This record gives sequence, structure tokens and C-alpha cells, in this order.
Amino acid sequence: MTELESELRNLASAIDFPEPPDIASNIQVGGPGPRQAAWGRRIALAVAIGGIAIGAGFAVPQARSAILRIFGVGAVKIEFVDRLPETQPVTRLRLGAPIDPADAPFLLLQSRLLGDPDGVFRRGDVISLLYGTPERVRLLVTEIADSDFTPEVGKKLASMGTHVEFVPIRGSVGPGVWIEGRPHAVRLPGGPARLATNTLIWTHGPITLRLEGAESLQEAVAIAESLG
Amino acid sequence: MGRPLDDGELVTRAQQGDVAAYEELVRMHQATAFRTAYLLAGSTADAEEAAHDAFLKAFHALRRFRRGTPFRPWLLAIVANEARNRRRSAGRRHALALRAAAEIRPGDAAPSPEAAVLSRERQDLVLAAVNRLSEEHRLVVACRYFLDLSEAETASVLGIRTGTVKSRLSRALEHLREEVPGA
Repeated sequence: MTELESELRNLASAIDFPEPPDIASNIQVGGPGPRQAAWGRRIALAVAIGGIAIGAGFAVPQARSAILRIFGVGAVKIEFVDRLPETQPVTRLRLGAPIDPADAPFLLLQSRLLGDPDGVFRRGDVISLLYGTPERVRLLVTEIADSDFTPEVGKKLASMGTHVEFVPIRGSVGPGVWIEGRPHAVRLPGGPARLATNTLIWTHGPITLRLEGAESLQEAVAIAESLG
Repeated sequence: MGRPLDDGELVTRAQQGDVAAYEELVRMHQATAFRTAYLLAGSTADAEEAAHDAFLKAFHALRRFRRGTPFRPWLLAIVANEARNRRRSAGRRHALALRAAAEIRPGDAAPSPEAAVLSRERQDLVLAAVNRLSEEHRLVVACRYFLDLSEAETASVLGIRTGTVKSRLSRALEHLREEVPGA
């Protein structure tokens, strides 16, 4: 190394770089623990920030709101809020216009376990595969043709008492999110918020999926892994 | 106590969903990521956001990361991209001029007052010469010597080949030798 190069290297410590922010702490909660428990704590943090953001009229700095994105799953954003939005009792699910699966705007994933759905509906870029009837839903698989997070696409609003857990799913881009316990509110584009029961959200390639109505996490994961 | 995990091991764990492993990666690289972003974005706020968002994007893109390849150049390429986007959005045409810190940092060896003045004058002289370099030369010097990035990492950050890093660096050093007496 030449003298000039040594001089430049020595100069590095004298450069007035601003103090680096502690980015790791922004996405860290608690100490090390089992993988799923750690994910669970993280989502609680993210949703708490979401609650604050709502209370403050979304007046949150960009860098903080970005924290939410890491805990979004594909096109779905998850927030904890102090109070659920108003929901109307639903006697018949409104899922959009019925379509032939071949007319979907993207190639639909179908479950080997569930077989053909009883109905396929489209609302914008959101496709719903219904098992049962709109009045008596057995299972509902929602497919969104975008796994990049955009807050407008879909939003889940979870209340306290709802258990949220990250779970590994074979074939998913990153872990899926399992929501169970007290009903949570879900709002999809163009539709009102409604209450939802146990739900699994995950991604498969460029598609974000949600499965509503599975009786247990094990059943939900088995169905999720059967989709292809 | 076990040995600390290296980047490759942490990446493998993070790809399997181990968030603690990813946090460790963030902790290990956040300072370099931030300084790289600062160099390119030209403002502290933009650099913070760029580094932060880059770590989030890297997390989402981990599945596309090829195991066995070095993590830091890949991460820094994402950081650099975020930083450049912010600089473009802010309409800043020039990268920032580097400055020497006003005071001696804690932990620095305390020189005699005369030596300190001479040393400071020399630092200012060299830094002024670096700041007069063209932007492409200044950035390559800053990446290699001020951020201590390897040639491959510098290439990733600047979006050029390692051969170009070498040739730019060589020309930048030539300019500096012409500008700084005794260099």
C-alpha cells in the first residue's frame, strides 16, 4: 500500500459520518427465543405501531411505517388496533362476480386436498375460491395476484385477544401468518370490513393467499401446502 | 459459549425463517450499510431510510440470495439502489462533500497540540482534494478507503465491474498525488 493510500485509510476515522442508527433494534423485540415465539412477538410489535399510526392519523415518519411492511405478508397488512372497525352482520358473503376459473386474471392455485371449489368469484385482482355456499361458507381461499406489499390491497385488523403466529409453510416465500382466537376484522379492496375466523395468510410465488375457516393450524398448513 | 456465526450461517438460518439470525445480520452490517447510503444519498435522513428499507427488502429477497456467495456485496447493492433512488427523488444532483469531524473522537490517541494542528491541516488538505475529484472518482475512493469496502463490494455499490473499480481508483490516486504535496 502506498503512503497516499495509508493516509486515506487513516483519514477514514476522521470523516464526519453521522452516527449510524440502530436499525437492528427497530426490528427486534425481546431476547432470543424459539423461532415461532420470536415471530409472534414481532408481529405484536408491528401491529402495535400500526395502532399508534391509526390513532395519530398516520402521522408516522416514513422510516417507522416501513417497519410495518416487514410484517406484512405479501399483499396483506396486519395491524393491531385498539378498537375494531364497525362491521355489519354478514348473512351472505359478497365476494364479487362469479367467474369461470379460466377467466381469472392469473393462473389460480388449486388444492389437491380440497378439489374443485363450489364457486369462484372475482373482485378486482382478488379471486375467491369458495367451498360451500355464500350463505354457509365451509372454507374460503382468497388469492391476490401480487405478493408485494401495498397498503391499499388488503388489510387485516386484529384486536387484542387474537393470537397471531408466524408458521413455516413449505413452498411459501417466508413464513405464513396464522390468526386465531377472537374474531378479527378483514377488509379487502372494494368491500366493507367484516369479521373473520381462523385465517392463514401466506405467499406462493407472486401470489398472496389467505385461507379462512380451517379448524386448526395443522389443517390450514396441510391445505396451504397442497395448493399448487 | 459457541463461536459467533458467520454471514453464511446466519443467512442460511434467516432463509429458514430464523428472525434472530436476520437481526444479527442487520446488527453486523447496519453501520456499513448506513454509511454507504449516506455517501450516496447525501443526507442523514435519506441514508437512514435507505438503509432501513434496504434491510427490509433484503429480508424479503433472501430466498433469491444464492447460498455460498458473500452476503455483504449483495446487501450493499440493495442499499446503494435505495440510496440512489432517494437522492434522485430529492433532486440532489451531487453527492455530498465529505467533511472531517470537528473534534478528535473519543479513543483517538491524543497528539501534541502542534502535531494535532499539522495533522488536522494535512487531513483537511487531503479531504479537500478528495472532494475536488469527479464524483465517480470520489465515490470509489470513499468506498475503498473510508468505508473499507473490498473491490467486489465497491463494484456492487457503484454498479460497475471490479476491473472498472481498479482503473477508476488508479486514476483517482493519480489525481490526488498531483493535488496533494508530498503524497
